[in-house]
Formats: sequence, structure tokens, C-alpha cells
Amino acid sequence: MTSQEKLCRFEEQISPHLKSAYNLARWLTRSHEDAEDVVQESFLRAFSAFESLRGENARPWLLTIVRNTSMTWLKRNRSAGAMIGFEEMLVEPSEDSPDPEEILLITCDREQVRQALAQMPLDFREAVILREMEGLSYREISATIGVPLGTVMSRLSRGREWLKRILSTPSSPRPVQPEEGAGPR
Amino acid sequence: MNCADSRTYLPAYLDDELDVAESLYVQRHLAACEDCRQAQDAQLALRSALRDPGLYAYPSADFSKRIEATVRRAAKEEARSQRSSWFALLRLDSFRWVPAAAALVIVTTVGAFLITNSMRSSHDQLIASAVLTGHIRSLQPGHLIDVPSSDRHTVKPWFQGKLDFSPPVPDLSELGWTLVGGRLDYVDGRPVAVLVYQRRMHNINVFLWPNHGSADDIIRQEDAQGYQILHWNGAETTYWVVSDLNKAELLELARALRGH
Repeated sequence: MTSQEKLCRFEEQISPHLKSAYNLARWLTRSHEDAEDVVQESFLRAFSAFESLRGENARPWLLTIVRNTSMTWLKRNRSAGAMIGFEEMLVEPSEDSPDPEEILLITCDREQVRQALAQMPLDFREAVILREMEGLSYREISATIGVPLGTVMSRLSRGREWLKRILSTPSSPRPVQPEEGAGPR
Repeated sequence: MNCADSRTYLPAYLDDELDVAESLYVQRHLAACEDCRQAQDAQLALRSALRDPGLYAYPSADFSKRIEATVRRAAKEEARSQRSSWFALLRLDSFRWVPAAAALVIVTTVGAFLITNSMRSSHDQLIASAVLTGHIRSLQPGHLIDVPSSDRHTVKPWFQGKLDFSPPVPDLSELGWTLVGGRLDYVDGRPVAVLVYQRRMHNINVFLWPNHGSADDIIRQEDAQGYQILHWNGAETTYWVVSDLNKAELLELARALRGH
């Protein structure tokens, strides 16, 4: 494959997914500038590794690179709160919040949903973004994050429960709302 | 199917991840159970809140253009480095005479100690282009080092757990090579260690990973787009050194690294 052919095929198969790449990076890094840096680096990596893409679906392949680049980026720029994502660090919403199974979601306010998503532990957040916004299948998410299928299902389900609790109990004390840490606007 | 099973299967049911028979079981249960229908409604309400297009983050048009330009530049660099490779240099068509003659002079001058082999295999060509891209990428702000330290006792342990080998991190400061740090990169389908040295204002990226092939310790050299690339296979480690530093000084570094 000549460089020109490679460029053509890259622009045909990968470039259309810039939108997904940016959305994922933006929700993982929670910052516009960082997301742009991560996406730029990801595209360079994707271009130099393009020959290794064989037959698989291009979008999950690209999102895997974006996800890994974001994680490296977050580790490198470890800041307070950025690394909350380990399940054991998860602060559960208060016990007296209503059982989420028994009530309907109370709020559909976009800003509240945005805040909740931005505060969600990283492990849950990436699974939920890949599923709900990017529409990836469980199998694709498992390959992208690099965890077994069962872990994907458990993170998705715990992430959703977490969101339901946060979003259905607007009166209970909520975690500190970081100004900068808020999700995309 | 009871309620507990139904709640377990519900997310996968709504995500379209069940087979037909399983879906049917869930559907039947939902039709008969008010509680589980409520749980379904809650899931669906959450889903529609999360799929709100207003939450999706779109890249700006400017940024899209920038990415397009970045990729095209990378393609151009790659094409140029393929063209200017040593291999192409040795095809003695008239246009190539002058650099080929210059190369011969260099070979003679540097002498028998250094045998500047052409990088024959296309595999080496691919790696050369990957390390060059890695070097150029590392020059962008914030990309050069993951662990900034001039202390080899900080840099070496940093790699542990991140790589399946322990890279040698020699202290060459007495020879005028300042270690500024290290980072991880990805070359030839595997994670590799990169040591970053400095001399004057020049950054030198030393890519290294275990050598599982034959070792000859012969330093091969190539220039590409104003950068020097040196490469040799040591007994245990494969080295690729990239910099915009002049060839003679870079060879000094290569020999110092090889001696360690």
C-alpha cells in the first residue's frame, strides 16, 4: 500500500469517526482542550497503526485507541478527582434514597444529567458512554476497554443504577460539583 | 422466569443483547409483572436522558480541518521517509549519484569500526518510519516524557510493571549526555521503552525493546527528513536512536549505549 493509498483508505474508513472519537475523549477527559489533544494524538497513532486494522469494524478500533490515549493522558495529568474510577473508591448515594427499581426517573433536566455523567466514576462512565452514546455492542465495549464481557455488563448495570440514584434524588446531598470537571457543554 | 431473573436480564434485553428465546422469556414476564414493567420504564427513561443529542460533544469545524491536515502531513512525511530511505539511495540512477557518492565517502571515513549497512528489510523500513513518527510526535508540547527525571534510579523503576522487560538505563552524564526522562511508546506492534537524552538543545529519543532475533551490534544509519536514525541489534536489546543532532555526535552516543 503506498502512502497515497493508505491516506485515501484512512480518510474513507477512519476520518468519518472523528465525531465519535471527540465525544469519547471529551467525556473521558472532561475538558475541551484535553479532548482535542487526545484526539490529535489518537489520529496520529491510528494512522501509523492503520495497517494493523484488518477486517474489524473501524469505529471500535479507533475508539480503542482514543480510550487508551485518554487513559494515558489522565494518568500523566493526574489531578484531584481525575482518577476516581476505581470501584472501591465509589461513594454510594445515601441509603435512604428511594430504591431506584421502584420509582421512575425524576429528572430529565439535561444539565443535571450532564453533571451526573461527568461525576460518574471513570470505569462506569466509559462503559455507559460507549453503550448509550456510541451504541457499541457489549462485545465491542469489552474489546475497547479490554475487560471480559461479564465485567462490561456489571459496570453498565452498576453505572446505570448509580445514575438513577443520583438523578432520582435531587434533594439528597450530592457530591461536590466541580466547575472545571463538568462535562461537555 | 421470576422477578429476580427478569431484573438480571432486563438491561441486556433492552440493549438487544439477548437471543430470541431469552428475549421472549423476558417479554412474557414483563407482560405479567407490573413491578418489572416499572423497572423497564425507569431504564428507558434513563436511556432517553443519556441519548439526548444535546449531551453529545461535537468537534468544531476548525478542529476537524486541523485533524485532516495533521493526517495528511503524517502521510506526506511517511512518503518522504520511504523515498529518502537508504535503500532508495543505493539505486544509482543519475538523480541519486550525488548523495550516493557522499554516502560512500562517509562510509570510508567512519571506517571499518562502523559498518553502515543499508536497512534492507522492509520490516526495518516500517520500524524506521514508526520511530521517526514517534520522535516527531514527541516534539509536540507535552509529549516528550512521561517520567521526567535525570536520575536513572527513578526512570528505570518507572518502566516496571508497564513493560514486559526491564530496559537498561545507563547514566551517560559524564560523557555529556543528559538523561531527561522516559516514556512509553508503541512500535512494531508492541509497547517499547523510550529514553530521552539531551545534548545542547537537541532531544534524542532512544527506543529500545528486547531483541529476540540475531545480534550483530552493527550500527546501521539512515537519514530521513533532516533526522538521523541509528539502529543496532544488541545481544539482548534492539536499539533505535532518533535525533536531529549531527551524525558524528549521535554515533558517539550509540557507541556509549552499546558499551553498556
